[in-house]
Amino acid sequence: MAPPAQSQRSPSPSQPSGKSEVSDLKLQLRQLAGSRAPGVDDSKRELFKKVISYMTVGIDVSSLFGEMVMCSATSDIVLKKMCYLYVGNYAKVNPDLALLTINFLQRDCNDEDPMIRGLALRSLCSLRVANFVEYLVGPLGSGLKDSNSYVRMVAVIGVLKLYHISASTCVDADFPSILKHLMLNDSDTQVVANCLSALQEIWSAEASTSEEASREREALISKPVIYYLLNRIREFSEWAQCLVLELVTKYVPSDSSEIFDIMNLLEDRLQHANGAVVLATIKVFLHLTLSMTDVHQQVYERIKAPLLTLVSSGSPEQSYAVLSHLHLLVMRAPYIFSSDYKHFYCQYNEPSYVKRLKLEMLTAVANESNTYEIVTELCEYAANVDIPIARESIRAVGKIALQQYDVNAIVDRLLQFLEMEKDYVTAEALVLVKDLLRKYPQWSHDCIAVVGNISSKNVQEPKAKAALIWMLGEYSQDMQDAPYILESLVENWDEEHSAEVRLHLLTAVMKCFFKRPPETQNALGTALAAGIADFHQDVHDRALFYYRILQYNVSVAERVVNPPKQAVSVFADTQSSEIKDRIFDEFNSLSVVYQKPSYMFTDKEHRGPFEFSDELGNLSIGGEAADNVVSAQRVEENDKDLLLTTSEKEETRGSSNNGSAYTAPYDGSSTSVFALQTHIESAISNPTAADHSPQASLAIDDLLGLGLPAAPAPPSPQLKLNTTAALDPSTFQHKWRQLPVALSQEYSVSPQGVAALTAPQALLRHMQSHSIHCIASGGQSPNFKFFFFAQKAEEASNYLVECIISTSSAKAQIKIKADDQSTSQAFSTLFQSALSKFGIP
Amino acid sequence: MPPLMGIEFLCRVADVLSEYLGGLNEDVIKDNFVIVYELLDEMIDNGFPLTTEPNILREMIAPPNIVSKVLSVVTGNSSNVSDTLPGATGSCVPWRAADPKYANNEVYVDLVEEMDAVINRDGVLVKCEIYGEVQVNSHLSGLPDLTLSFANPSILDDVRFHPCVRFRPWESHQLLSFVPPDGEFKLMSYRVKKLKSTPIYVKPQLTSDAGKCRVNVLVGIKNDPGKTIDSITLQFQLPPCILSADLTSNHGTVNILSNKICSWSIGRIPKDKAPSLTGTLVLETELERLHVFPTFRVGFRIMGVALSGLQIDKLDLKTVPNRLYKGFRALTRAGEFEVRS
Repeated sequence: MAPPAQSQRSPSPSQPSGKSEVSDLKLQLRQLAGSRAPGVDDSKRELFKKVISYMTVGIDVSSLFGEMVMCSATSDIVLKKMCYLYVGNYAKVNPDLALLTINFLQRDCNDEDPMIRGLALRSLCSLRVANFVEYLVGPLGSGLKDSNSYVRMVAVIGVLKLYHISASTCVDADFPSILKHLMLNDSDTQVVANCLSALQEIWSAEASTSEEASREREALISKPVIYYLLNRIREFSEWAQCLVLELVTKYVPSDSSEIFDIMNLLEDRLQHANGAVVLATIKVFLHLTLSMTDVHQQVYERIKAPLLTLVSSGSPEQSYAVLSHLHLLVMRAPYIFSSDYKHFYCQYNEPSYVKRLKLEMLTAVANESNTYEIVTELCEYAANVDIPIARESIRAVGKIALQQYDVNAIVDRLLQFLEMEKDYVTAEALVLVKDLLRKYPQWSHDCIAVVGNISSKNVQEPKAKAALIWMLGEYSQDMQDAPYILESLVENWDEEHSAEVRLHLLTAVMKCFFKRPPETQNALGTALAAGIADFHQDVHDRALFYYRILQYNVSVAERVVNPPKQAVSVFADTQSSEIKDRIFDEFNSLSVVYQKPSYMFTDKEHRGPFEFSDELGNLSIGGEAADNVVSAQRVEENDKDLLLTTSEKEETRGSSNNGSAYTAPYDGSSTSVFALQTHIESAISNPTAADHSPQASLAIDDLLGLGLPAAPAPPSPQLKLNTTAALDPSTFQHKWRQLPVALSQEYSVSPQGVAALTAPQALLRHMQSHSIHCIASGGQSPNFKFFFFAQKAEEASNYLVECIISTSSAKAQIKIKADDQSTSQAFSTLFQSALSKFGIP
Repeated sequence: MPPLMGIEFLCRVADVLSEYLGGLNEDVIKDNFVIVYELLDEMIDNGFPLTTEPNILREMIAPPNIVSKVLSVVTGNSSNVSDTLPGATGSCVPWRAADPKYANNEVYVDLVEEMDAVINRDGVLVKCEIYGEVQVNSHLSGLPDLTLSFANPSILDDVRFHPCVRFRPWESHQLLSFVPPDGEFKLMSYRVKKLKSTPIYVKPQLTSDAGKCRVNVLVGIKNDPGKTIDSITLQFQLPPCILSADLTSNHGTVNILSNKICSWSIGRIPKDKAPSLTGTLVLETELERLHVFPTFRVGFRIMGVALSGLQIDKLDLKTVPNRLYKGFRALTRAGEFEVRS
């Protein structure tokens, strides 16, 4: 297809020309503005195209604003589109001039052609100038009622845009409830989908300030809405399907037959051509069956084939994203892909980021049955042209060796690597052999024979050299030449630039000395002298330490340097299982691709619409009455839930899901807001709070207990807590790690408390009224987990609490850590009394 | 943000743009800012993907082709946008434009398969898979309802469908029942794994000593698929440690490109001899032997055969229009076909 002819006539937009061009355009536009001659639209179109292309390449054409608006009186839709585009781009910087356009946009909103109505409305909402909101409400209102679905679709998104310009205008005009009505009744699925996404965004933003909004948000994941959307899912566009599926993952079905219904309904989505739909469906399946272990396994089987297809077809970017998800799954269930390992073989011309992930996959799926093939394949990569990948694959072989029991064949391979005479292969292999020997000392004879043949001159990389030196020291009794090799290394002390290598060298010479004293004595002397003179602090210190300990007592030195070693059974894992669980909860999101839970890479204000912790900072005691209604409803639902599946849930959630859904900690800014609010609120609601907690009110008059730091903890109510305590999450984490557990107890929770605890926030609100603040919470019925903190009123002494409540057994397990250990018992009593009042109105 | 949603959407945008503009590069976009803006405007609003079906977009925004230009000159109607909204936005078959009319009703079904294979250093077939697509080009009037059946659907491992395919008939009888979009589209894609053999063999031999490396590569037909194997090519990257290469072949042409990629195009395999590539590589001075071995990437095409063995049984229309033409074709080509040495 040839490019349009116009472009040849117009000067290339890529070369920005000066102001004369712009003023020239201005003149021409002005001439055309009034003209009604035939063909004027064509010439206008040429000019508009020029203006747009200047705008796009970054030339400021905002000075043409007036002329553009004058020319905009036209019936030509392309001209209109270009004009809208121009206006949308410059309205923000030219609000006064943009006012001129309001008129014609509003007129266009009443055009006969639905396309023009829609476009005008979209442009009107895209102006994003705060002063114009009053002009938006009218057209939006009629747009939402338009007979054409295109206009309605645009209007729905327009409402969302309006919300972001001025939330109050949007809510005052009652748009959210109109959207809700549309969502449940409109015949066009795109309108429904747009309503859904707009409502999700509006309500979760509103939920922080309004109880009603958060109730509405909950209502989105209620059974009728979910069923309504699910039943129409095939009519939705593929993108809208993703949206609906994401919503379904948040829905908690009441019993297993409901789960099966949903899964049957959605099964064909796994064969959708769009990978995004497939992955969203998989997420629904995995989350629905979390509590049903055997069905969960079947789900793994079912999703295997679609996932593997997604990996091998499509762009490398897609493969990467899917592989990240597979990697997550494989970590949870290593056996699922163990027979499909061939799918993770690297192709020659894949980008290296995909290859690297595939290597990780191969490592993860390796088990007794497939290790031989996988290692054979990995060895072929070691001769790969792509050096980083060759290194990675050797490392992968090592990792497999470390996780297998039958390492016979693998050790042979690694030793072959050592003989390959390629410096990077040797280097990587040396490091691995070292790790391997730490785990399987029984292989030392075979390895040492080969390692002994490696000339240390060929090993340059610090890590590899350190590994070689470690082996020389550790196995010096088996290696003939060990003392002499070490000696020559010591002689070249000054040429060794890496401190790590020098440290290892010192230790190795020491070890060697105890095994073969006569041969090593010289080298040891030289090494200690060189070490003490070393400019690197650690090397210097270690040399001095060895020197002194040798002086003090040689046998003690031997026990220090050459103790009998135990084989390392498990090497430390880099990621905690808690983090992995969190990432799994965020399946089908960027968290999986980044291998980090979302709170580690997002700002608070951008977190997902359903992140519960978002609203914790804004609880108002005044709203409790309204809230009780909600919780009562939810209790009912929950009761049903409990009746049907209690036993299952207890078992599986308790082990696999409990604690996995912690909501993210606050960041610093929100904490301060939170503290301020509670301050005000508690000032207002002090009388009620006093009614609720006699201890707290008693403490107001009694400050004696605080004056005695060594007070032996009688269960005394004298402890007074700071109602406006603030603590940022990082400090909390830091303290939690540092402090010892002062108290660990188990309380029982009153039946009323169990009934009221349907969601974490109910308890949070309650505890907050007792000046005990929550920093993170999570879990689902029947298991909840909370982290609380409280501060003494008079001094900056903190109490940190981990509280796990199981509603099924009506027990609360509590761990308390305190800056001031002596008062922890008093605090515990306070905490218990606060907790015991939960649920009692 | 679901990562695949982003990636899929961007791919879709790229597809639509290149379909409209006949290619996708910086210059084309610069020449067609307005069309690009118009398209993006319809495809995404405020971060939500909207209409991405090419058929519907084409009705909203006419592609800048010669036909529409000629048309606009003739009729004097300069707008490149239809005056009415596409009917399909409201219809229940969102991928199909409202009611096209054709004098000749035609439907073509192509089976296009790609063979991915890895053969390791010892000549063992490590992995062999076929990724296939059923591509349909339909020009049918009205709302046609098609049913496509395969002779041996059981060999398919995993299938993915265009949204137009109904799920139930496939689930119960392995029948593809659908109302097609107008024009070309991908009806279905599938995978067939664990194939036992490849149509051709490639046997590379590299022996090196004293700073030189002898190369000898043999190519021949292994399992005759019954049709001619066409456009056979062989490509490999020379390792960076090679100073110079002297390679010749007894059939076809050998080229060494500037980035040290050696490409041997064979075409068809002659009846009388097996094509072979021989020569020597000179290594860097201090190297005795070659430690990095190249991977040979093989390309070929076989018309008329789907190597997976998948066969189309029949294609039925519910209401048969007059003058209907149905066509079937099959094609297999090499996907990621690698031979390691």
